[in-house]
Amino acid sequence: MKTLKKTAVGAALALTTCLTALPAAAQELTFISWMTGEPGYGDWWNEIVAEFEETHPGATIKMSRVSRDEYADTMFTLFAGGNPPDIVHLAAFEFQPFANEGWLEPLDERFAQTDIPLADWAGQGTCEWEGQTVCLMLLYSGFIMAYNEKVLQDAGVEEVPTDYESFLEAARKVTRDVDGDGANDFIGTVMPTTGDASVMQEALGFVVDAGGSWTVDGKPAFDRPEVIQGLENWKRFFDEGISPMEVSSADARQFFLEGRQAMTIDGPWITGVINSAAPEVKQHLKIAPSPLTPPLGGTSNVLAMPSELSDEKKELVWDFIQLTASEKYQKRFSELGGSPAPRPGLDYSDVIAENPGFAIIQQATETAAAAGVDRLPKGLELENNEVVKIFFEQAQRMLVGGLDPAEAAKNLQEKVTRIAE
Amino acid sequence: MTDTSAPRKKVAGPARGFPMIDFSAPRHREKFGYLLLAPAVILMAAIIVYPILLSVDISMQDVRIARIGDAREPWTLKNYQWLFGSDEFWRGLWVSLKLVFVVGALSVIIGFATAMLVNQKFRGRTAIRLFVALPWAVPEVVATVIWAWMLDSSFGVVNWVLLKLGVISTPVLFFSNPTAAFAAVCFVMIWKGYPLMSIMLLAGLQSIPEEQYQAAAVDGAGPWQRFFYITVPNMLPVIGVTLVMTSLWVFRDFAIIYVLTQGGPIGSTTTLSILTFEQSFEFFRMGQGAAVGVITMILCAIVSRALVGRLAKSVH
Repeated sequence: MKTLKKTAVGAALALTTCLTALPAAAQELTFISWMTGEPGYGDWWNEIVAEFEETHPGATIKMSRVSRDEYADTMFTLFAGGNPPDIVHLAAFEFQPFANEGWLEPLDERFAQTDIPLADWAGQGTCEWEGQTVCLMLLYSGFIMAYNEKVLQDAGVEEVPTDYESFLEAARKVTRDVDGDGANDFIGTVMPTTGDASVMQEALGFVVDAGGSWTVDGKPAFDRPEVIQGLENWKRFFDEGISPMEVSSADARQFFLEGRQAMTIDGPWITGVINSAAPEVKQHLKIAPSPLTPPLGGTSNVLAMPSELSDEKKELVWDFIQLTASEKYQKRFSELGGSPAPRPGLDYSDVIAENPGFAIIQQATETAAAAGVDRLPKGLELENNEVVKIFFEQAQRMLVGGLDPAEAAKNLQEKVTRIAE
Repeated sequence: MTDTSAPRKKVAGPARGFPMIDFSAPRHREKFGYLLLAPAVILMAAIIVYPILLSVDISMQDVRIARIGDAREPWTLKNYQWLFGSDEFWRGLWVSLKLVFVVGALSVIIGFATAMLVNQKFRGRTAIRLFVALPWAVPEVVATVIWAWMLDSSFGVVNWVLLKLGVISTPVLFFSNPTAAFAAVCFVMIWKGYPLMSIMLLAGLQSIPEEQYQAAAVDGAGPWQRFFYITVPNMLPVIGVTLVMTSLWVFRDFAIIYVLTQGGPIGSTTTLSILTFEQSFEFFRMGQGAAVGVITMILCAIVSRALVGRLAKSVH
């Protein structure tokens, strides 16, 4: 009887222990991303998730996808409703309002206890909000030029453009109506005119080339002569009928895929677009350094942790962030994503041996980073969406209404200064 | 015989310590009505009144992002000061009013014309009635996406047809030219909105007593006289209600404009509802967004009251 009692007590104790331990071990982390399922970056996430689950028995990551168009709204609703994902993935230009509300956990102390080389981490400065590090930068990239060698040669362009003037001249030569139906069959370059952020980004490439930037020391600098020059250089492509109107970034890439566009300046992801081209077009598609100097560059997306999370989950999410920042997965990022990872000191020789174009992307990234170029206007991060909207409106006035760039720059300066105050 | 002198047995007496109300008593009869209405009133308060009060509350706080349960900011009129001093609000109001006028007027005309057409007796009337109502049945976003494709300047069928017919020499930039964009939004809204007008006006037409037309015919009234002196006066209350419905729909419609133009170009299609969304969910200025919403609600209430009151009275 005594033995039976002991056994029963022991069994009950063991069962209680197991049941208490079960919730701790069987943790499910939620992770929402617009990259889920994408070839390249999506594969990279899958590999990290697989290793995390393998090294954290009982912990699982539930990945789900929200499209980029509705991403900010969805995340905003989730956070505002008190139900954020456990692993927070945001674009570099949209995390600021979340950080401003105190929804993102400061990570300085955690980073300080690791050997992650944050000081030289590309674009990591953007992750600082009010003196605290609230995220890990996942990508900083420089822009390159992809071109169709055959289309250029057919138009009599022998040398690949290396500066603004040669780029404009080549675009002029290529743009022509071959069959006389009134529509250009070949286009020098196609720049987006829809999608406010894309338009502002495209114009910034020319502004940076002219020596300008949207802000100086965190203050709006839209009315500086270099900015006006850059806007004029950008507008010229539309004034001369080279770049068509009402085109999105996706449309522009489609023109390139169809072999109708000679040159396009884009991020490293353009290599993925090239790979998806039909063989008869793909054989003529190549990449070169951007003719705009320094090239446009920018931070892309960040990884963060919500502040309203249990300590237990915070530890797991931190492990996930560390795994993402590890040398192994940063190297893997460059292999799968086709662009340099933000972690400094990685050896890309084997990647370059396999993909010679990688060296051009790496060079562009380093040049853009050295010049401090970023798509996000420094000092206006919190008002970025408003700034983008204001810029887009002035851009439309320039392109459709014929507004002089100097006048547009003056309007921009006034309006942006007003909201920044 | 029944002994009526015996005391009556109480059917339902008051429970001990729990007073009951006899709703059959004349002085309590009204209370029973209120009691029956209570669940509906409470439900309405929860789903209609509470969000309105919440919007008013947020509109009077200087907040970027409002969260229920968070510490609230003190009340201020800062958002309303911004509102009445901003170009965006006045432009949004002007665009909304223009849209209400154009879409409302054309929807009434087209809706009335189609209602009168399908009110006639002719072969294939059922099929025509179905075609008239068809745009109303298509989900708004689906219909708008289809129109966005059709109106595209590079690949759209509308520009292609106009070019082939020689009506235009270069494609119309439906989403870049402010006038064309406004016209495109009006067109899609009318296309989507006129069937409801038509259906409601058809119901109104069918309720006009036939004797009035017969008497007018005996008196020698022609078709136009019958239309202006019998049809229109009888239809005014229905037109009033449909106009109110259309005005409110146009005022608050978001999907058609957002899918087609996102409020652009150059703010030419930014209505108050688009401005509300923009301020709240794009610029994260929920206080300002709520202020736009509150003013929109007040404007809608005034417009509804004015239209319903004036048109309903005018019939008599």
